[in-house]
Amino acid sequence: MSTATIAAAALHRKEKTAVTLMETCTVRLGGSTFGVPITHILEIVGAARPQPVPLAPVFVGGLVHYRGDVLTTVSLRQLLGLPAKEGRQDLLVLESAGGIFGLLVDSVGEVLTVSSADYEPNPSILDERRRALFAGAYKLKDSLLVMLDPEQLDPMRLSAAQAA
Amino acid sequence: MDELTREFLIESQEGLDRMERCLTELEERPQDAGLIGEIFRSVHTIKGTTGFLGFKRLEKLAHAGENLLGLLRENKLTADRPIITGLLHLLDGLRAILKTIEAEDAEGEGGDSELIGQLEELQMPAQAQAKQPVHAKAGARSAAAPPVPAAINAPAAPSTAPEPAHPAEPQPAALPPSKSPAEAEAEVTRARVQGSAAESSLRVDVTLLNKMMNLVGELVLTRNQVLQATSSDPNMTLLSRRLDMVTADLRENVMKARMQPVSNIFSKMPRIVRDLSQALGRRVRLQVEGQETELDKSLLEAIKDPLTHAVRNSLDHGIEPPEVREAAGKDPEGTLKLKAVQEGSHVLIEVSDDGAGINVDKVRQKAIERGLITVERAAHMVERELLQLIFLPGFSTAAEVTNVSGRGVGMDVVRTNVEKIGGKVEIDSRAGKGTTLRLRIPLTLAIIHALIVRSVNQSFALPQGALSELVHIPPEQAATAIEWIENAPLYRLRGKLLPLVFLDRLLRPGVEQANVNERDNFIAVLDADGRRFGLVVDGLADPEEIVVKPLSAVLKNIGLFSGATVLGNADLALILDPGSIAQKAGVTMSSEEEAALSAGDESGVEAGKSLEYLLVEAAGRQAAVPLADVLRIEQLPLSRIEYIGYRPVLNFEGQLLPIEDSGGVLAAVEGNPKAQIIVVVCREGSRHVGIAVSHVLDVAGGGDLFEAGTNQRTGGVTLLKNRVTGVVDLGGVAPLPAGEVAQGEWSQTTETVA
Repeated sequence: MSTATIAAAALHRKEKTAVTLMETCTVRLGGSTFGVPITHILEIVGAARPQPVPLAPVFVGGLVHYRGDVLTTVSLRQLLGLPAKEGRQDLLVLESAGGIFGLLVDSVGEVLTVSSADYEPNPSILDERRRALFAGAYKLKDSLLVMLDPEQLDPMRLSAAQAA
Repeated sequence: MDELTREFLIESQEGLDRMERCLTELEERPQDAGLIGEIFRSVHTIKGTTGFLGFKRLEKLAHAGENLLGLLRENKLTADRPIITGLLHLLDGLRAILKTIEAEDAEGEGGDSELIGQLEELQMPAQAQAKQPVHAKAGARSAAAPPVPAAINAPAAPSTAPEPAHPAEPQPAALPPSKSPAEAEAEVTRARVQGSAAESSLRVDVTLLNKMMNLVGELVLTRNQVLQATSSDPNMTLLSRRLDMVTADLRENVMKARMQPVSNIFSKMPRIVRDLSQALGRRVRLQVEGQETELDKSLLEAIKDPLTHAVRNSLDHGIEPPEVREAAGKDPEGTLKLKAVQEGSHVLIEVSDDGAGINVDKVRQKAIERGLITVERAAHMVERELLQLIFLPGFSTAAEVTNVSGRGVGMDVVRTNVEKIGGKVEIDSRAGKGTTLRLRIPLTLAIIHALIVRSVNQSFALPQGALSELVHIPPEQAATAIEWIENAPLYRLRGKLLPLVFLDRLLRPGVEQANVNERDNFIAVLDADGRRFGLVVDGLADPEEIVVKPLSAVLKNIGLFSGATVLGNADLALILDPGSIAQKAGVTMSSEEEAALSAGDESGVEAGKSLEYLLVEAAGRQAAVPLADVLRIEQLPLSRIEYIGYRPVLNFEGQLLPIEDSGGVLAAVEGNPKAQIIVVVCREGSRHVGIAVSHVLDVAGGGDLFEAGTNQRTGGVTLLKNRVTGVVDLGGVAPLPAGEVAQGEWSQTTETVA
């Protein structure tokens, strides 16, 4: 295929659905990789030591001190029902419509640029709970990057979902 | 709303506040040209700007007011009572419109014609005399009142006449000739001074200040960590010390930026007093003291309503009508005193009147009527306990409901609002002599005193405000000291059963906790809204001043924590909320008990006649201090004691505390720099005093002693553990010189240390 035809094909696709690029921060949890849109990330804090909160909902990973405020964190492990991890965890400070909160993950990886051309919505066979948290996936060369929806991870929303 | 309108609203509010202040002063000094000028300027500025912004209704009203004020300014009218009332109505009218603009961005509909008519009518008597041509005015002004600053500062001024406004009357041009060169110079200087005042201050959004406060808190913590990390490195010492100082300065200044003088709310009171005393037919003189005392802005807002309530109460229930006062041999004019003074980390605000005082029998009767206490209980209550009843919800002694007070929402609202911000309310009343209400407000909202406790391997902060005492139960005593009724743990605290709540069991329900017999137990005796209980924790750390951080709604919903804080070691700690813990653990009481307990706590007086005393030993002799007056017991090195002349004093939390040393404790250890002494900090009237002792022995109930054959109660001694013990007379501790201590009514006592 000549370059001209590739360009033409790309142009053609663009006409159907405008191809947009998005920067995504990858986070690791156990063996899987997830993506968080970089536009929602305020800061990445390495090796956070969250303070546990007795009687808090299961998904709460504890409190951390962030720039003079006390942030409630969501533990992605606990949220997805994975066993708790000992040792260091990384913290993403996220901003959602409801305010800022922390997301505890095993570790933070590189920033990838993904194209909307590679996007697929959530598959229908995904269980309902995860379907609410995930925002589709990007087909990478050798794996899938499952996107997290920061709005859905907001502790307020999680607790409302839990109550329902 | 556009920026211009917002600016206009803020400015106008300030102008009207100033006008209100001046109006109440004007009533006392109706001839004061400066005051009239000030009022004129406020109204004039509003009129000028409204024309520009197109608020026609506001402009019309302001214009009518300006006409009246113009006549006053030219001495064609005197500011008598009807005129001042009219001007106050004008003020209310203007405020109402401004409020509408703020809410709806439009003036709204509404007729001001009545008010305008009233203002025009007030000009009438002068109209006859103002018949002279308007043009004579400039001359009249310079002749009548040359030093009137008003005339100088408002050159664009007076479209004063009864006739409609003269647009662009050549006033500014007419003015200069009427001024001497000296006057003109004075004007320039004044303008310069005013200009620089305006340039040197600016408005800052409160949220921005809050943010700065937060960041400073963060900086303080980072500094602490830097100091710890660099303490071993000599090269860094100088730098970190500098960082330390700058941070401390910065923090202090940001705090200061949030402070506002209490005059901001005190200045509202003259008007309230004036209106109410007229409505109620009282004659009242308002005395204000300590207006310059500063308080955090948010706290100032929070005490505005309670303070207004208190003032209303004083006028309605306290100060009697003039004829009643005269019959009682008092000055027919009552005095209402507002006083603010800073005491260490608190600001004390007093509202006192010389009225009838609170009739304790009436309180008792009313409380029984409303079912707040039982008859038997009431019979046993002493005066101080009964006084506390007025803070219960649904209590009012007013014979009838007036629109001033008497709906039974008064004092409990005062107390709730003040306690919400970590303050305290005390009341003192003497029948026939008057009532004093004291509001004790912390300087800043964000910082509270807390005791750090340990449980489930975590630190928690317990607000000192709710904490009344601590009891330590070592493991070997736990089995006997903690008693059980079924599965309810109880502790016998001075003969009364105290319900216990185990914090670890509450926080980790269903998880097996360490046996109480195998660990140290600390009972924090808490008083949450009258519910008294003991919170059992596994360890105590130091008391700390903590900065309160809000929790997210998710964690607030747990209901046990009121916030979080960062401790000195950079750890996070949750702040426990005693009220919700009591609720969660099911500690409840009947309202009767509640009343008894909240009253008992306030006064520290048990229901019977016996008082509780702290038994101390000073240089071999035993003495007793009334427990109700004891605030703290401090152990400190002798070097902390300083001397003013021969008087020992202690710098205690930024306050100077006179130390009473009649036992000779200080003398006994003098010269030993390592010596530790114990100081019992007591409350005495409105001041604090310290008593130097060598040991604190016990707490015991004391009985009265009667002199043989006379049946007269002896003063100054009590029967403690069957030994006659002298009671330390706190009133006898002489005040410090040079007005270091607020001079009160306390120094009259003649008793001496027994």
